[in-house]
Amino acid sequence: MKDTDKKANPFVVFGGALRKGVAKVKNFFRSLPARLKEKFAGAKEILTQGNGKVAASMCVMGLGQLLYRQWAKGILYLLVQIAFFAYFILKGAGDFIGFFTLGITESNAWYGIEGDNSVIMLLMGILSIIALVFYFVIYVANIKDAYRIQCAVDTMKKPESFKKELASLLGKNFHKTALALPIVGVCVFSVLPIVFMIVIAFTNYGGAVVPPALVDWVGLDNFGKILSLGQFAPTFFKIFAWNILWAVLSTFLNYFAGLGLALLLNRKCVRGKTFWRLFPILAYAVPGFITLIAFKFMFSYGGPINQMITGAGGTAVGFLDIDAKWTARLIGLAVNAWLNIPSGMLLATGILSNVNTDLYEAARVDGASPWKQFVRITLPYVLFATMPVLISQFIANFNNFGIFYFLRGGLYMDGYFLASDTDLLINWLYNMSIDNNYYSIGAAISIIIFVVTSIISLTVYVLSPSYKQEETYQ
Amino acid sequence: MSRNLSAVVAHVALILVVVIVIGILGSVASATSAGAEKFTGELEENVTLRVLENDTAIKQGYLAELIEAFNEEYKDRNITVQDANMDQYIDLENDGPYGYGPDILYQANDRIMRYPEGRHILPLPAEEFDCFEEVSEKGWQAYRRTVGGQEYTFGIPVNVQGPLLYYRKDLLPENWESEWDDDQNGVPDMVEYWTDLYRFSKQIKESGGGKFGYMRSFLEPYFSVGYLYSYGGYTFGNNNTDPSDIGHSAGNAEYGARIIRQLATVMDERCIDDSVTTGAYAAIASGEFFATITTPDVYTMFVDEMKAAGYSDEFIAENLVTTYIPKLPASGDLEDESQGFIECNMMGGIQGYAISSYTKYPNAALAFVKFATSYQMIKRRNELLGIVPARKDVADEVGGLSEVINNNLESGNITVMPSIKENAQIWTPLQTLFQDLAKDAFRTGAEVKYATLEAMKEALKKVDTQIYDSIFTLQ
Repeated sequence: MKDTDKKANPFVVFGGALRKGVAKVKNFFRSLPARLKEKFAGAKEILTQGNGKVAASMCVMGLGQLLYRQWAKGILYLLVQIAFFAYFILKGAGDFIGFFTLGITESNAWYGIEGDNSVIMLLMGILSIIALVFYFVIYVANIKDAYRIQCAVDTMKKPESFKKELASLLGKNFHKTALALPIVGVCVFSVLPIVFMIVIAFTNYGGAVVPPALVDWVGLDNFGKILSLGQFAPTFFKIFAWNILWAVLSTFLNYFAGLGLALLLNRKCVRGKTFWRLFPILAYAVPGFITLIAFKFMFSYGGPINQMITGAGGTAVGFLDIDAKWTARLIGLAVNAWLNIPSGMLLATGILSNVNTDLYEAARVDGASPWKQFVRITLPYVLFATMPVLISQFIANFNNFGIFYFLRGGLYMDGYFLASDTDLLINWLYNMSIDNNYYSIGAAISIIIFVVTSIISLTVYVLSPSYKQEETYQ
Repeated sequence: MSRNLSAVVAHVALILVVVIVIGILGSVASATSAGAEKFTGELEENVTLRVLENDTAIKQGYLAELIEAFNEEYKDRNITVQDANMDQYIDLENDGPYGYGPDILYQANDRIMRYPEGRHILPLPAEEFDCFEEVSEKGWQAYRRTVGGQEYTFGIPVNVQGPLLYYRKDLLPENWESEWDDDQNGVPDMVEYWTDLYRFSKQIKESGGGKFGYMRSFLEPYFSVGYLYSYGGYTFGNNNTDPSDIGHSAGNAEYGARIIRQLATVMDERCIDDSVTTGAYAAIASGEFFATITTPDVYTMFVDEMKAAGYSDEFIAENLVTTYIPKLPASGDLEDESQGFIECNMMGGIQGYAISSYTKYPNAALAFVKFATSYQMIKRRNELLGIVPARKDVADEVGGLSEVINNNLESGNITVMPSIKENAQIWTPLQTLFQDLAKDAFRTGAEVKYATLEAMKEALKKVDTQIYDSIFTLQ
């Protein structure tokens, strides 16, 4: 095989990129000890070189600063410690312990026994751990600060005043000020629910075990069930295979149909572009579930499509009924395309308006056909710019709950456990966690979904030009 | 280094001590709470109760009347009731403990009976109610549950829900008295026997014109599972209380499956999905359908559609008829009357009142439930909403379908929806089966799945296994 052929072969390209990726991961782990050593060199220095005042800050936050007459900072650190201890004594410690016990007393509303709510305890326990982490971060900052002051004093320099440090938060340390609130917000509104969902997968929450019954930790039992139960594993793999196919096909269809529509409406020969662009935008503007219910009715036995068929003397078609596995899947793809092509078109329209027209001019001079121009100029450019969006669309399609829930919900098929042949993993997860109350199994499946989508997304992203040639278009 | 390390260790140790002490104190504190008897007989005064009623009662003005009457009765004690103004599908498990739920709730037995295991509703002193002797044993059974080794009653039955046959009298054939009343009892055979309704529907369909005799979607198990019950099937064993015994395939339930398949042949494909459900009111009004089955509380929907179609009130009152479900052939074959007939056993429900365990005023709430289930209020409820009273004294007095449905409940021809929480897991498997059976009537050649009774029996067994698995596999 010639060298040029090797380069052209996509499998060879993929293999090469994969090898590079694996090498990067290996390097990361190989260099980890050295990097950790470097990271903790500072800690070692503080522990070995820190004086009595630094040790005072280790014992009581801010005490070292106070001994160095850094009043404002010392008092602030002290207040943080007092506030944390107050929280911990009044609530945090109980929540922290509750995270491990998940309750010891069942509530009984008949006798006014409030008891323990394992689910709330789990949530509050996670919150207490987040609070502990925050406290630890501030505690370390307090020690580092005390040592910094010691170093300044030891080298006969004047330690930075509190006023100056405060001012730096609006200057060179502005990033800390700007990020402080968002980090707290992310922890409470994003990290907390995600961690909560993850830990649910390691409990027996669901089925007969719902509050006021007490929930217990069960380790990896739920994952074991998914892989070992006779009815469970075959359903998982069947749905998983269809889910992958669905995600790939729907992402491909929506993306290229959107791009095609944008290219079509970008052509100079098209008159009334704004008018034509309005139609897909109207479809986009209607709430998705309304559209889905409308499509369900359209394809039902009593809907207009079947009325036209029977009116013309034909036999009604079960587009979405129990026998309609592939018909329903294709309708799902088409309806999803109807919902998502408009956004793809808008995205591509915006990106196409920035393509350098000189490139096309040069290509035309070199005799490139319109197809060649599309493949060599338009597609790489659009792909480069939209790869992260494409990945997010893939994930959204992988987890597209609404399409088959609204179009063909309420069916459990032969050979499937609590699922139908059009259900995606997310629908199966819903069937189990909401319709059948198996919350912990649902959480375990959602972790698997998360791992799968993460691996696919990261692999695609790392192999994409958006990652490999970031500087190309800059 | 040792000094500084000691300082860090001291700090961490302090936090650990706090955790351990709080943990011990917390566990001691939570174990010392005590219980109390809720119904002391002493009415709480100067209180406001929130009652969650159903939408129809609110829309038709019954709740307003009930509240006004109760508030007047208890004005000396300043006990007032108000509409809880909450969604009917409230989640008492999650909202109740935090004080967001209603004090009193009116719901169907399957919804109310989700709450006893978690002790979210209070056991009621049923024998104190003046309706105690008037409600049938079947009605009380729907609200009984053993909790902590003792049996309690958790709801007071008010309304018996069961399907009825709605038909247009003016669409009967002119010669029905000579041709369609074999027993000469003055009742058309097609509304008395499924075999005749099937034959009549077949005639109408074959005569063309896009009209149908009987039409109803089979998708809803509530209306379809009764065909299985009629031939020996059941949902859960031991009076619908044992989820480990699932019996939709029991007895000759496959006859019921065959009835569904046969009925589908005289309808069109709309019986497979639910597209015909909401359109049935208009289709009855336009005369497209001669008859359908639904619950008594939607009578006004048919009336509204008929009025919209230009019919007068007198015409509607005379020609829109509701009657009990026709009898089924004992042979389990709509084309074979040789073995006589059996009653059609349909799924029903009992709606009633329950009291939240989280109410601060249990005695006042109990007084309200007693008031709302009194003879006068139930009679008024029947007059205004057309419900079928669970109280026999009211049912006997108003007569007609109320009496018939109560008798059917007592004789076991209405099977009350299971009150155990596992009931939530029967709907989708049954819905799939009924859709499959109805679809089979329109399959041809090798596609036909249920050509024999054996095949139907197998399908029913599979559904039982599916329900069992959904309940027990992951527990």
